[in-house]
Amino acid sequence: MTAGTDTVGDKSAPTGTDTATRAGSTRGRLVLKGIHKALGGKEVVRGIDLTMEPGEFLTLLGPSGCGKSTTLNMVAGHLLPDSGVVEVDGRDITRLPANRRAMGMVFQSYALFPHMTVAENIAFGLRMRKVGAALRRRRAAEALELVGLDGMGERYPRQLSGGQRQRTALARALIVEPDLLLLDEPFSNLDAQLRVRLREEVAALQRRVGTTTILVTHDQDEALAVSDRIAVMAEGTIHQLDAPETVYLRPATDFVAQFVGEVNVLDGIAAGAAADGHRCRIGDSHLVTATPVGTAPGDGEAVRLYVRPEAVRVLAVPGKGRPASAATPDPASTSTRTAAEPGLPGTVEATRFLGTRVRCVVATAAGRVEATLPFGSAVPGLGEEVFCAWRPQHASLTARP
Amino acid sequence: MAATARVAHGPALTPDGPTPAPGVSRPVKERGPWRTGLLLASPAIAVLALLFIAPLFMLVYNSFRTQAGDPTLHNYTRFLGDSFYRDVLWHTLWIGALTTLGCLVVGYPFAVYLRGRSPRARNYLSLVLLSPLLISMVTRAYGWLVLLGPKGPIADGFHAVGLDAPKMLYNDTAVVVGMVHVMLAYMVLPLMGSLDRIDPALTPAAKGLGASGWTCFWRITVPLSLPGMLAGSLIVFSLTVSSFVTPAILGGPTVKLMPYFVYTEATSNLNWPYAAAIGFVLIVVTTVLTAVYARLLRGRGGKEVFA
Repeated sequence: MTAGTDTVGDKSAPTGTDTATRAGSTRGRLVLKGIHKALGGKEVVRGIDLTMEPGEFLTLLGPSGCGKSTTLNMVAGHLLPDSGVVEVDGRDITRLPANRRAMGMVFQSYALFPHMTVAENIAFGLRMRKVGAALRRRRAAEALELVGLDGMGERYPRQLSGGQRQRTALARALIVEPDLLLLDEPFSNLDAQLRVRLREEVAALQRRVGTTTILVTHDQDEALAVSDRIAVMAEGTIHQLDAPETVYLRPATDFVAQFVGEVNVLDGIAAGAAADGHRCRIGDSHLVTATPVGTAPGDGEAVRLYVRPEAVRVLAVPGKGRPASAATPDPASTSTRTAAEPGLPGTVEATRFLGTRVRCVVATAAGRVEATLPFGSAVPGLGEEVFCAWRPQHASLTARP
Repeated sequence: MAATARVAHGPALTPDGPTPAPGVSRPVKERGPWRTGLLLASPAIAVLALLFIAPLFMLVYNSFRTQAGDPTLHNYTRFLGDSFYRDVLWHTLWIGALTTLGCLVVGYPFAVYLRGRSPRARNYLSLVLLSPLLISMVTRAYGWLVLLGPKGPIADGFHAVGLDAPKMLYNDTAVVVGMVHVMLAYMVLPLMGSLDRIDPALTPAAKGLGASGWTCFWRITVPLSLPGMLAGSLIVFSLTVSSFVTPAILGGPTVKLMPYFVYTEATSNLNWPYAAAIGFVLIVVTTVLTAVYARLLRGRGGKEVFA
C-alpha cells in the first residue's frame, strides 16, 4: 500500500488502485464540533465531535434513538444544531439551508418523486442548478449507467424493484457531484440477499467516485463490511470512532462490546498492564487481554472482559480423557492447551449444530462462555471437562459500568 | 447487472382462494372473491338503483314529453333557444367555479397545515372544519344574512371608521361566501387524504438537491396532491351547481340559478317536463365539465400520481 495520506487506507481489502483514486479526492472534508440537538424537549445529540477526511466512508452505527439520523440531518441541513459547528472543507455551513449545501442524500424510503420518470428523478438536481436540457439528458444517461440501470430512464419509480429504486436514488444523489454522500438506512427496506449485494455495490461505487460518505445504520454487519471507520453511537454521544477491526476486537466501552457482534462478557479485576496487553484476574485464573482503548483501568478496579465466540477455542484438558473419537482433530486446531494461552476451565453444557459451525456452551466459574467451533472441528461431548482458551489480542476489557 | 435477486417463495395462492381444510366433511362450495364483494355492495346498489338510477331514467323520459304526455323536443329547444336560460346556465357554472376556486384557495393551505400536526390536533381541527355541516343549511344561510346585512357587524365596522358599507347581500359574492363556508370540508378532506399519502422524505430529498421551499411546493407537493384536488373540486362543483337553499337565501332576487328554475317550474308552473329538462341539462353539462377537468388535471405523468 502506498504511504497513507490519511487514516482511510487501511481497510481489509483495498487494492492499490482504489487507494490511489481515493487519495485523489480532495473535497468533502467534514468537521463536526460540539454538536448538540434537542428534539421535543429531549436532548438526542449530546456533543458530537468528528473529523472526516476526503473520500472516507464513515458509518454512524447505533440503536434507534441514539441520535445518528439526527446527526446526519444536521449535516444535510434539514435540522439546525442547538449548538456546535458543521464545517465542510473549512467552510462553516452550520446555518446554510439544505438547498444551498452540496449534499447528496439517500433515504430509507428511497424518496423518489413518483410523478417523474427515473431520468427526470436523476436529473432533478441538475435542473435545480439550471443545467440545460441536452446536458441534463446526457448526464442522466451516464449516471444510469454508473448504477447499472442503462435504458431504464423512461420508467416510473413504481415500475422498478426495490433495488433498482435504491440505485436510482443513489444516482440522483451522486449526479450533482456532492461534497458528501449521506446514506440514511438505505438498505433497510430490501430483503436480506439484496441488502448484502447492494451494500457491496455501494461500497465499490464509493471507492470509484471517491465521494466522502456517511452511512447511518443500526446493522452492525453492514457497518463492519463497508466502512473505513465506524462511529458507534448511543444516547447522543460517540462511544468509539475507529476502524471496523478495532471496534470489533477492542471495544472502547461496554456498550460497544455488547452492541457490535456477539460477545462473551466476564466480570473480573484489573491486575496491571502487561508487556503486550493488560492483565486481569477472574476467580483463580490470570488472563491477559489486548491493551484497552482509552484510559487503562487501575489495579484492583472492577473490569469486564470481552471475548468473541469465534475467538474461543475449546481444548481438551490433558489427562481428563477426552474420548478418542472426538479428540481426533483436524491439523488446523490444537486440541490441547498451550501454556501461553489464557483461558478458563469449565464443563461443556450444550452443543448446538448451526450448519456452517457448531456452537458450544461451556459453564465456567465466571459464567457461561460460548464458543463457535469452525466447520469440521471435533465437537466435545456433553459434561466433558474442557479449557476455554483464546489469544490475548482477541480479548479486550473495559471498566465495569 | 441483474435487476433483482429472485427469491423462491411458497406456492402462489390460486384465484379460487384457499383450499378447504382437510377433515371438513361437507365440501365447501368455492366462491369467487367477486361474489362476496357483490354481496357486500348489494344494499348500496339496491338503494342507488331504486332511488337514483330509476328516477333518473324517469326524469329523462319525462323531459322528452309534453305536459299532456306526447313525445317532444320542445323542452330542450325552449331552454337552449332562450338566451335568458342560457345565461342562467352560465351563471350557475360561474358560481360553481368560483366556489370551487374559493374552497381550493382557502382549503389547500389549511390541508397543508393539518398535514404537519399531531393526530390529536388534527382531530380537533377536523371537527372545526366539519362544524358547518352540523348546522341546518337554512340556519347557516340566515346567519350569513345577519352577518352581511346592512345592519350587520361587518357593516357596523365600516360605519365605525366612517365609511359607507358596500352592498354585501343578494349578489354573487354573498352566494360564493356562503357556499365556500358549507363546501370547505368537502375540499379539505380529500386533500388531506392526498397529502398524507406523500412520502414525507420527498421534501427534504428535493431540498437536498437544491430546490427551494417554493419549488418543492410547486414541483412536488402540488402535483402529488392533484388526486385530492380533483376529487375535492368535483364534489364541491357538482354540489354547488345543484344547491338550492343557500343561493336562494343569500342570492335574493338577483342571483337565480338553475335549481331555482327547476323548483319554480315544478312547484309554481307545474310544468314537470320542463323542470326535468332543466335538471337534465345541468346533469349533462356538469358531467361533461368534470370529465374535461379530470382529463386536464391528469395530464402527463398523471397515471403515476393517480395510480
